[in-house]
Amino acid sequence: MAVAKKKIRDRKMVPVYCNQCVAGPDLMRVEVEDGVATRIESNYGIKDAHPGGGRVCVKAYGLIQKTYNPNRIKQPMRRTNPKKGQNEDPGFEPISWDEALDLVAGKLREARAKGVDDENGYPRLAFSAGGGGTSVQYMGTWPAFLGAWGRVDQGIGSGQGLKCYHSEHLYGELWHRAFIVAPDTPYCNYLINFGHNVDASGGVCGIWRHADARVRGMKRVHVEPHLSVSGALSAEWVPVKPKTDPAFLFAMIHRILIERDWRDLCDVAFIRDRTSSPYLVAPNGFYLRDFETHKPLVWDAAANRARPFDEDIGEAALEGEFTTSGVELGADEDRWEHTDVKVKPAFQALLDHMQPYDPDWASGECEVPAETIRRIADEYMDHACVGETMEIEGVTLPYRPVAIMLGKGVNNGWGGYQCCWARTLLAVLVGALEVPGGLLGTMVKLNRPANDRHLSAIPDRDGLMEYPFNDTSKEKWQDHPGIRNAYRMLVPLVADSPWSPALGPAHLPWLFQKKTPEHLPRTTLPDVWICYRTNPAISSLDTPTIREDLAQFPFTVAFAYTLDETNYMADVLLPDATDLEGLQLMRVGTTKTVEQYWQHAGWTVRQPVGEPVVDCKDMTEIATELARRVGILEEYNTAINKGAAGCSLAKNDYDYSLDVNRTHDREEIWDAVAKAASHGLTGGEEVHGIDWFKENGYLLRPYPQIQWYLHPTMLERGLRYELPYQERILRHGVQLARRLHETGIAWWDKQLEEYEAMPGYESFPDIWVNYATEVGCDPKDFPFWALTSRSMQYSWGSNAGIPMINEVARNVAGHKGVIMNRTRARELGINEGDPVIIESATGHTEGKAVLREGIRPDTLLMIGQFDHWITPYAKDLKLPSLNSLSSIALSLTDSTGSSADLARVNIRKAEEAVKS
Amino acid sequence: MSEAQQHTPRWGMVVDLNRCVGCQTCTIACKHTNDTPPGVQWRKVLDVEQGTFPDVQREFLVTGCQHCAEPPCVPVCPTGATKQRFDGLVTMDYDTCIGCAYCAVACPYQARTIVHDQEWFYGEETVQEKAVEHEERIGVAQKCTFCVERVDEGLEAGYVPGLDLDYTPACSASCIASAIHFGDFNNPQSNVSQLLAENAAFQMHEQLGTDPQIKYLYETPAVPGREHGQEEEEEEELADPSNPLTGELQTFWDIRAAMNFILGGMGSGLACMALLLHLQGYLPEPALLNMYIGAAAFMAVGLFFVFLKIGRKLRFLYVLLRPQSSWMTRETYFVALFYPALLADWIWPRPWLHVLVGAAALGFLICQARILYEGKGIPAWRAPLVPWLLFFTGLLEGAALLLLADFVLGNPMTASLTNLTAVMAVLAIITGALWIAYRVTARRNGIPPLARKVIDRISPVVTVVGHALPVAAFIAVAGQQAESGMATVVAVAAALAVLAVGVGWKYVLIVRAAWQQGFEMPWLPRRGSGRRAAPYRAGFAGASKG
Repeated sequence: MAVAKKKIRDRKMVPVYCNQCVAGPDLMRVEVEDGVATRIESNYGIKDAHPGGGRVCVKAYGLIQKTYNPNRIKQPMRRTNPKKGQNEDPGFEPISWDEALDLVAGKLREARAKGVDDENGYPRLAFSAGGGGTSVQYMGTWPAFLGAWGRVDQGIGSGQGLKCYHSEHLYGELWHRAFIVAPDTPYCNYLINFGHNVDASGGVCGIWRHADARVRGMKRVHVEPHLSVSGALSAEWVPVKPKTDPAFLFAMIHRILIERDWRDLCDVAFIRDRTSSPYLVAPNGFYLRDFETHKPLVWDAAANRARPFDEDIGEAALEGEFTTSGVELGADEDRWEHTDVKVKPAFQALLDHMQPYDPDWASGECEVPAETIRRIADEYMDHACVGETMEIEGVTLPYRPVAIMLGKGVNNGWGGYQCCWARTLLAVLVGALEVPGGLLGTMVKLNRPANDRHLSAIPDRDGLMEYPFNDTSKEKWQDHPGIRNAYRMLVPLVADSPWSPALGPAHLPWLFQKKTPEHLPRTTLPDVWICYRTNPAISSLDTPTIREDLAQFPFTVAFAYTLDETNYMADVLLPDATDLEGLQLMRVGTTKTVEQYWQHAGWTVRQPVGEPVVDCKDMTEIATELARRVGILEEYNTAINKGAAGCSLAKNDYDYSLDVNRTHDREEIWDAVAKAASHGLTGGEEVHGIDWFKENGYLLRPYPQIQWYLHPTMLERGLRYELPYQERILRHGVQLARRLHETGIAWWDKQLEEYEAMPGYESFPDIWVNYATEVGCDPKDFPFWALTSRSMQYSWGSNAGIPMINEVARNVAGHKGVIMNRTRARELGINEGDPVIIESATGHTEGKAVLREGIRPDTLLMIGQFDHWITPYAKDLKLPSLNSLSSIALSLTDSTGSSADLARVNIRKAEEAVKS
Repeated sequence: MSEAQQHTPRWGMVVDLNRCVGCQTCTIACKHTNDTPPGVQWRKVLDVEQGTFPDVQREFLVTGCQHCAEPPCVPVCPTGATKQRFDGLVTMDYDTCIGCAYCAVACPYQARTIVHDQEWFYGEETVQEKAVEHEERIGVAQKCTFCVERVDEGLEAGYVPGLDLDYTPACSASCIASAIHFGDFNNPQSNVSQLLAENAAFQMHEQLGTDPQIKYLYETPAVPGREHGQEEEEEEELADPSNPLTGELQTFWDIRAAMNFILGGMGSGLACMALLLHLQGYLPEPALLNMYIGAAAFMAVGLFFVFLKIGRKLRFLYVLLRPQSSWMTRETYFVALFYPALLADWIWPRPWLHVLVGAAALGFLICQARILYEGKGIPAWRAPLVPWLLFFTGLLEGAALLLLADFVLGNPMTASLTNLTAVMAVLAIITGALWIAYRVTARRNGIPPLARKVIDRISPVVTVVGHALPVAAFIAVAGQQAESGMATVVAVAAALAVLAVGVGWKYVLIVRAAWQQGFEMPWLPRRGSGRRAAPYRAGFAGASKG
């Protein structure tokens, strides 16, 4: 609401959504005065339905300045300097849209004429997008263009797998259809948080829910090397040594299983009936199976014999060792027929496995007193309410108000498997998986169907959830990388959904571009690389190297907002309509993203709010026009009809399909989508065109809360969670090892070791400590850990060039420099605000010292990603960035294709400070 | 009309420290709604850290105008631009404000800002920023208004501010943790009254008597808050300028404002002392008038410096609008009396006019002493001895100037050098004692460590050169042959020392030691429950515990 005194002729409030971060969308209204967007407010109209009170977060308010940024690319541009590099002025010159689209379409046609794949079998067209998938909410019908094209390499990463919750995405989907794992915060009473900065990056809904839980009395224990915003809002801060979280978690399990009496404490019925714990493990590590049906056997203690898991078992044994017979099916065709062999339930294997990991041992690893670990484990059990139930919408469900969250540094890279496994297992031990108060999933991205995780939970022959592993059998294993990150070849767990390429080892293409490892076809550069809302030159690890790699790309098309470090290497800049300028309909509600648990489902809109500021084009218009000029219009329209714009335009009871043979303008396309979406949502009760959505902002229908929990589906389908024992992982590991070795590949051997039925602990910090040796340096020269942390102001959304965001971000510690422990800094003669240089074995960065108490003396913290040297405004912030320090290396990449966002470094006062 | 509007409301806020995540959404929502320019934050959330590794607590503290029930900014305002409404809202009239910044130094919550030049976020104007530009706010004080326009618009349309979010202050409406609640404290049924009834709360700087209308919750049903640590702990924290709780050094009143206190104090002190000596028969009428003219010159130059400093110079006469409460207005009235009276006295010398001129100067000096003292936002100014110190320093400087004038003008006075140095010495003893007392009681009076450090640094010079030297000079002069050359040199040197030291410490007090009142969290939240089984709360939609 304006307070300006100026005379305004026309004022309106325009409803749009903000989905800049992975925790969106949230709804807002833009105030527009005489065609100029002036202010942003939350859309309070939805406050009773939205789980975050209808609010948008701080980032949304940057969108006005984002729109009116004078540094925007104001029209399409063509590069005139054929040389590329940080020190090569691209010499961009303005061209018309017509010329620009012709230029791009020409290159695409040229590539397509040679074949979709190049001579080495890699797609000629590559496309990268940033923001953890959020860019989909802004790219209009662009997915339809990609779909119409055919094979596109979407696996050249800009931080994916390094800066996401990667291990959780993969293992979460495997175990409980949880691409993202979240506590059931509204009911949770005790939450242990290993480094998840939920109060900065959990989105409005996450923050709202956790604030409610805090004042309700939920206790949150925060385990992280520094006192983050979320640590600040927790009851207890445990400054753990970086990358040793698995030791802490293993010791908690040890405490519960070994030091205390699990039979008394745990949810034994849940373990027995809802997990694979009673399955008997045979001598070679695979389940002992029935000779005929091949079903896994369990030991029926009542009948005193082994029986297939799905028979009416009197009392399935969890512990002990038994002698029985059966067949063991190993990798490939391996098969062992056992007679009177000694076997034990998977749970007994777990008890044996956890034996060495006592809290005293863990204390030595993670530098947390053993008694603290014991106490926290005990508190977790004390709060678990095993045996209690609650009612949700008339259904009685177990009530287990305990959960464990994992942050990105914890769950990425080596140690991620251990953390994910241990935390999910801790939920299983008390029956807190997918029940009120416990640990839930939000959505699926790897399993299908995409919009309902319940429908994807289908039993396999072993009574576990079917999972779309990439095949590792001799016949079906893909021996060609396919795309440049080789995800289908190397990572069975990443599956093959539209999201999988980006979740593959998306950083490896950069490494392979420099030196393709043995027995892979030489990594070629894509003929055409298109990048959208992404800036890998600052957002990935090892940015100096990526900068050089980018300069090699022969033809880069960048959808460009301002000049940035990536599009500086581009051949064509296309200024697309930004957040408040484009038109798009998208889903809201159900359960999705970080902590969005709605009691509604529906659709919302993004629309142009004011008069155009620059000569930009909507992504839908660009996609349509390129499809036409490339000659794939029919395929493009067909893709839209099939659902590439968010929902199918035709189903049994309605048909709003587009004529596939002609071009449709933006309004026409979205009008059809709007009608199909509203028809589908309401069963035809309300059918609205796009104009209705533009006026009203959103359309909702109730969504049952019971859908938040997978538990009823598990019961209904007789499913068991595949925990604690990972027979499938083991099998795929052995098979993958064989396939790779058959091909002669030995460079993935370290990763293959991670395919364990139950993960063991190794000294994970040493992997990063010793990396210095790999590049010819002495690890002793790098005594500090450099970490990063999410910031609400800067995570996702590319807001580093927006002054108002910077202004308010500076109120939060760490946005002015590198945070270090005050006492440690003083020992090094570093004072508040001193310019400092931070060096790793492979890079360096500079900034100012920010001295705080809430950080371990051996740790440095650099918030956000600020490696800018050309992005207007951002380049003048002079903030340090971890991305200059961290490295991309096979030795730092785990079996899921992920690497952690940290580095070993040293720090010293910069010369200018020494002089003064 | 809802029930809430049937009585006189008292608008205020309740901020729940257990909810706030420090995200600055309120800060930026305020910037949008109120169109504040770069760097101006009417609402700001501090990121505070207390304790030492590993026993550290980090909190987020919402700050801004507290819309005090007893707002120190209102009475000091010389124009009436800052007012308190019937419903408690402290408002700003940009068209009346002259930008003297008195309100800014009177606020103990660092809530006010003055922007002298229009700045653009990108360094250049954009069509959007031009559309939301507020020229009327240039050069005048600005601060949080509790979004008074939204509140009024809502009330007019029959809505309840605080519950109807479109008519609630933007910070509160936008808060993503539901930490900032706005409502009517006079309605016991209101959201904020209910929160206060059910939870313990504190007001910031309660001891200052401002009765701020932002009340902070720090407890949860499961966990009580904890009282903030020892005085020593606080002392150490506030000695760190990078600590967000530490008040910033004020820049509202710079050397130009200090010049008024320096020259105005000297001038008015000279006039007072001249009249005093004249009445005692030591200063003949022509010399008195000369002294008055000298005093007038000093005061005029000081006032000219102030004129240079105010944000809206063409409105300077508005300074006359608030005699009922503002010592700045009163000072102007004494100026308005002093100069015409002096003119009249010069044209038509009469004993009663002599007295009138001197009395006006005395009034001026008293006003000056009170002006600084009413700057409640600056602990070094609001200490109880400050007005006395300024008053007696003025007289001391007056005596010193008289002594110098006597020397320069060839002894027009009938008082002996001994007598003059005696007067100076007596005043130096009083002033010296006040200074020492001021310094000794500084910590007790809440003057923060950074300000004390500055004061302590100059203190030896002030005491030795400014206060002890005049006494020593008197002893020396009294022991000398009357009017010997040496005695004159000593006396003149002492007088010069008095003036130099006066200039020095006033400058330091006003410019260098003027650290603003910092922020305070007397109670800290303790997050979550340490006990078994946090209580289950029924009432979440769609669920009930079985």
